[in-house]
Amino acid sequence: MNELLEQIAVCVERGKVNAKSPFPPDLRGQEGVDELTRTALAAGVPAQDLLEQGLIKGMQAIGARFRRDEVFVPDVLMAAKAMKTGMAHIRPYFQSGEVKRKGVFIVGTVAGDMHDIGKNLVAMVAEGGGFEVVDLGIDVSTERFLEALGQKPGAVVGLSALLTTTMTSMAETVQAVKLKYPGTRVMVGGAPVTEHFARQIGADAYSADPQGAVEYLNTVVA
Amino acid sequence: MKMNMQAWKQGVLASRTRYALPVLTSLGFDLTGATVRAGATDGRVQAAAIQALARRYAFAASPMMMDLSVEAEAFGARIRLSDHEVPVVVGTALQDTSEVAALAVPSLEAGRIPAYLEAARITAEAVTGRPVFAGCIGPFSLAGRLFGMTEIMTEMLMDPDGILALLEKCTGFLEAYAAAFAQAGVNGIIMAEPAAGLLSPAQCDEFSSAFVRRVVRKVQCDEFAVVLHNCGNTGGQNRSMLSTGAWGLHFGNKNDLPRTLAELPGEVLVMGNIDPAGSLRMGTPAEVKAETARLLEATAPCANFILSSGCDIPPGTPAENVDAFQEALDAFNAGR
Repeated sequence: MNELLEQIAVCVERGKVNAKSPFPPDLRGQEGVDELTRTALAAGVPAQDLLEQGLIKGMQAIGARFRRDEVFVPDVLMAAKAMKTGMAHIRPYFQSGEVKRKGVFIVGTVAGDMHDIGKNLVAMVAEGGGFEVVDLGIDVSTERFLEALGQKPGAVVGLSALLTTTMTSMAETVQAVKLKYPGTRVMVGGAPVTEHFARQIGADAYSADPQGAVEYLNTVVA
Repeated sequence: MKMNMQAWKQGVLASRTRYALPVLTSLGFDLTGATVRAGATDGRVQAAAIQALARRYAFAASPMMMDLSVEAEAFGARIRLSDHEVPVVVGTALQDTSEVAALAVPSLEAGRIPAYLEAARITAEAVTGRPVFAGCIGPFSLAGRLFGMTEIMTEMLMDPDGILALLEKCTGFLEAYAAAFAQAGVNGIIMAEPAAGLLSPAQCDEFSSAFVRRVVRKVQCDEFAVVLHNCGNTGGQNRSMLSTGAWGLHFGNKNDLPRTLAELPGEVLVMGNIDPAGSLRMGTPAEVKAETARLLEATAPCANFILSSGCDIPPGTPAENVDAFQEALDAFNAGR
C-alpha cells in the first residue's frame, strides 16, 4: 500500500497525469496519478492517506525543488495538473467529511489586474498542500472577496497583484476585509509587492513564492 | 536619425562616463498632459511624450513604450486599455495547439501596429544626438499571451511541437515588425521577453533564445541594435540570453548584476536594474538615490554597464524619483 502511495507522490512530483500523457517522456505509457489514485481507492486505501501521503507529499517535493531552483514554473504547473487529477477522485470524500482539509484559502488577483500565473501557482500549490482553495480568478472586486468570506468564514485570504497601479486595490481590499471580518488573516504577493508594502497596508503576511504561501497557511492552521 | 550603433556601442565601452538608459515613457505622458491610453493608441501622442522626456533628461538613448499587448492584439487577442496603466491582454487568441496551423500571421496594418510605427517615425526624426529604441515583445512572451501564460507552461511540456509551431508564427511576425521599425528610422529595439524568465535555462534556449536569435540575425546591423530584456532571469539564463547575439542584455532587479557582469563578456552591453516598482514608483527620492548610487558603485569597474531600470518604469512614477536617479548618476560621474 505504501508503495502505491509513494508511486502517486512520485507521479505528482514528475507531473505524470495519466497513462495517455506524453509527459514526462521517460514515463510514457506508464500509469499516472489518474489511474493510480483510482487503483488505490479501489484497493481500500483511505482517502485521507491518499491525500496526505500521495498528493500533498508530491506537491511538497516539487515545491521544495522549485525553491532550490532545481525545477521551474512549467514543472510546478505540470505537477499541479497531475495533483488536481488525483484530487478529483477524492473530492466525494471531502463532501462526505471522510477526508478533512487543513483549512480554506480564498485567493484572487485584485481589482483592475488581469494577471493570473502567480495567483494560479499559489492556488495550485495551496490545494496540493491540503487546503480547500476558492479561486476567485482575476480582476476580483473587494465585494467579491467579502462575499466569498461570508460563505467561508475563517478562511485565509490571498491577494495577488502584478501592477503597481493595482496595489492600491490590494490596500483597499485588505482594509475592507479587516473591517468587516476583523480576525481574518490576509496574505499578499506578486512581483511588485514587498514585505514592507504588506506591513504598510495591514496585511498579515507576504510571500515571495508559492511554497512560502503554503508555509504561512500551515502556521495559521497549526 | 540614422546612427552607427556599432560606433555608439564602442563609444559607451570606451567612455569613462557612466551612461543611463532607463525604460521610461510613462512619465512623458504626465509631462505632456496625455493619458497612457492616448499614448498607446496614437503615435503622435507617444512621440510627443518621448520628446518631452528627451528634453528633460540627458539619458543615453530614448526608448519607446514597452507595451506587451500590441503584437498580441494584432494576432487577435483581446486587450484592455486604460488611462493610467499600460494596456494588458485579457483574452487569448488560441485555445489549443490544434488551432496553431490556422492562426494567421497578421500584417503590419493590424491593430495598433501602425500607431507604433508612426511613433517610431516621428521620434526618430525629432530626437537627435542619441539613439531611439522601439519596444517589441519577445517570441515566447508573445506566444504566452496568445495561448495563455499558465496554459503555455504546461503545453510546452505536453506538446512541444505545437508550441514550437506557434513560436514560428510569432517569430515571423516579429522579424517583420522589427524590420519595419528599422525602416521607420529608429536605431534599435528593446525586445522584452519576461515570460522566458519562468523557464529553465534549457527551456529558455529552446523556446525563447533560439527564436530571439532569428530576429537578431534578421535585423541587427551597424545601423540597428537589439537589446534583449528578460526581467525574470535571476542569473541562470545569462548564457542563454547571450547566445541570442543581441548587442545589449537588459536585466530585472532580481538579477545580481555585478555577478552577471563578471560572467558575461565585456563587449556585450549589460543594462539594469533599479527596482522600477518598489524603488522608482513607490520609493522616496532619497531611497532611489541611495539604491542607484549603490548599484553604480558595485558596477564601477565594468565599462560595459549601462544604468537602467529593471523593467518598464510604471505609470504614476514621480518625476522627483527619476530626477533622483539622474542626480545619483551625475554625482557618480563627477567623482570619476
